[in-house]
Amino acid sequence: MAQNTKTFKSPEASVFYIAGLILLGIVVLSFIVSLFWTPYDPEATDAAAKLMGPCMEHPFGTDNFGRDVLSRVMAASKYTIFISVAGVAIALVLGTAAGIPAGYFGGFADRTIMLLGNSIMCFPGILLALVAVAVFGASVTNVIWALGLVFAPTFARVCRVGTMEIKELDYITHARVMGVKPVRLMALHIFPNLVSQLLPATVIGLANMTLFESGMSYLGLGVQPPDASFGKMLSDAQAYVRVAPWLIVFPALMLVFYILGLYFVSEGLRVRLTKGGK
Amino acid sequence: MARHIHIVKVHHLTLSFPTRKDPNPKPVLDDVDFGIRDGEILGLIGNSGSGKTMTSLAIAGLLPDNANITEGSIKFAGKDLLAMNNRERRAMLGKDIGMIFQEPSTALDPLMSIGRQLEEVLTAHKDPTMTPEMRHKAITDMLELVGFKDPEEIMTRYPHQLSGGQRQRVLIAGAALLKPRLLICDEPTSSLDTVTTVSILELLKELCHKLHITILFISHDLSAVRGFCDRVMVMRDGKIVDKDTASDILTNPRNAYTAELLTNARLDTRILGLKPANVDYTTSPVLKAEGITAGYGRSLFERVKAKRTEEKTDNKVLHDVSLEVYPNEILGLIGGSGSGKTTLIRSLLGLLPHEGKVNIKSTSIGAIFQDPVSCLNPAHTVKWHLAEALRASGKKASGSDALARITAVLKECGLDEKYLTRRPHELSGGQRQRIAIAMCLIQEPSLIIADEPFSSLDASSSAELLKLMTDINRERHTAFLLITHNIHIVRQIAPRIIVMNDGRIVEEGQTPEVLNSPKSESTKALLDAERQIHGL
Repeated sequence: MAQNTKTFKSPEASVFYIAGLILLGIVVLSFIVSLFWTPYDPEATDAAAKLMGPCMEHPFGTDNFGRDVLSRVMAASKYTIFISVAGVAIALVLGTAAGIPAGYFGGFADRTIMLLGNSIMCFPGILLALVAVAVFGASVTNVIWALGLVFAPTFARVCRVGTMEIKELDYITHARVMGVKPVRLMALHIFPNLVSQLLPATVIGLANMTLFESGMSYLGLGVQPPDASFGKMLSDAQAYVRVAPWLIVFPALMLVFYILGLYFVSEGLRVRLTKGGK
Repeated sequence: MARHIHIVKVHHLTLSFPTRKDPNPKPVLDDVDFGIRDGEILGLIGNSGSGKTMTSLAIAGLLPDNANITEGSIKFAGKDLLAMNNRERRAMLGKDIGMIFQEPSTALDPLMSIGRQLEEVLTAHKDPTMTPEMRHKAITDMLELVGFKDPEEIMTRYPHQLSGGQRQRVLIAGAALLKPRLLICDEPTSSLDTVTTVSILELLKELCHKLHITILFISHDLSAVRGFCDRVMVMRDGKIVDKDTASDILTNPRNAYTAELLTNARLDTRILGLKPANVDYTTSPVLKAEGITAGYGRSLFERVKAKRTEEKTDNKVLHDVSLEVYPNEILGLIGGSGSGKTTLIRSLLGLLPHEGKVNIKSTSIGAIFQDPVSCLNPAHTVKWHLAEALRASGKKASGSDALARITAVLKECGLDEKYLTRRPHELSGGQRQRIAIAMCLIQEPSLIIADEPFSSLDASSSAELLKLMTDINRERHTAFLLITHNIHIVRQIAPRIIVMNDGRIVEEGQTPEVLNSPKSESTKALLDAERQIHGL
């Protein structure tokens, strides 16, 4: 009994967890600060200070229009975080709403829902998102919806398998015998028990979503100029990689921090929530 | 004499689970001191949480990483086990110390045939003198010894093709293959029915004599060790409170706690102050089921196989079962494993598609299940569970009225208000089963179906649960359909009894008549097994 009340702790999982939180903290902090203050206006050009290397006035240097890279990196974190969080939220809602009923009812409903999900999954995700954006136009909203749809089947699968496992347990049978209606059963009896499986999946989803978003922005189909996201900044910096490497290094570093941080946190969460991954 | 040489000597062993918050917690094992004599069967008895499993794990060297032995030593045949390194300990496991666990269904690899699993045991302890033929011979001999008539055939089978009892035999064969000097059996029979339990106990005794294996037998069931163990130790809160020869401890216990355990194990209704309620059989039944036939769908593989061989296999588990439960009655339903008891109640509860009619007078019918671990939702508090039950029965579940009702029902089940905010993992097995009953009660059902509610509980919790059930029956006039393989309980509290075998009702009638003059073979077999176990 006493063993169940405390969460599982293993030294290496704690190291991952803390390292992940620190990395993630750097990105989130720059995002929060950017909402109120950036050293310069991220969109203000300065012809006199083009392609300046890192110095006292511009710690991260400036780009080909003389815009401050530090300010732009901070502003870019806003779009990157917003798109990944909103996209994952859509995927989570759609995936849960489809996956739990599929697992709970089984049979025809299960096959139909999973057929739909599997058809989305059998295309390369980025391709599907690119097609959607190409058809509906390149805007932040469309990118979010496209990525949300592409990621939904992953969450649906997690929910489906978890539900199939849980619905056989006595407490669900008990609730059915008591006369609890299916919708309530799924929402209040089954869903809370899926959280420990959904949380790591969500964090991993955030990381993957960010990679997709960066890829799309890099191809020019995501965030539109003059706004910045990490992927967009990398794509813009390509032409100057020899003369101004700082244009690549700083956004790339932030991207690495964000994604690595998310992966580490997800690993730490998985170990904590599932008591040693068993 | 060799019998008096101690093969294992545990010296003042103290063990605890220190955490960062609490570096000096209450020890799980407190100054445990005993010896196991060579060639004897030593029983270790105690309620859940008394430390009996920890003692066995300490001897086998399989303690969890966060366990800390603060004091004492364990000597195996003169060697100090605690001074050994992991490698040496691992080499001893299997060869010198074998173990059998409680749950035979999860202890075998489902993807390996029995023959391969057993061979794995031999190859893991590399013995260069053994050729594959010798290994095969050793395995077939051992399977024959544990009671399989056709060992060659069993070796090709997979775990899912064996029954629980057969799996436990395979595990015993695996443990005995290396001829260990000590065999630790951790509740090897608690998930088996009475008939199988008796045969497993007989097998272990035979092995003990034939192969000269010493056995440490752990159980929460005092009566199971009767006539099986040579000596018995009783544990409570990490301490050994009593030890004596088996016959002495069971006939005239000197320790008060042992006596209490013994009383609980007997579930003697006179001592507990229970008596079956009077039932009026002229009133109309609360539950009337007629001609229930049910079964499970076959897998694709089985369907293809059946088609090829053109055999008509019957996949029905229940055949034309009819029964009635009267108001205020406790109806006992007994039968061995696989007799269709669980399928029957699933059909009655409407969880399984079936043929036939089920008429129930009231709208609500309660159920409690066997497993206290999964009977409550781990994500919610006790209060939520009861409120949910109230809401499901169509009543208001919030406000002070509802809270008063919830507290009242909880009190009736012997738990007070402080349990309202607890979550399932903070409760013991017995408490969880009581919450499950409270959830039924709050819906005011006319019938509660209880599926083996005692089988996972220790003797004290079982006695309390039984008392609660009879109290409810007397005070609320709720009828019970009690499914169990413990005839002893049924004999004392159920006025009427139904015996099932192979999906059919083979006998039905007043309990004394059925049990005193059994007409069918299966009832006789159940009674024989019960007599052997309880020595009644």
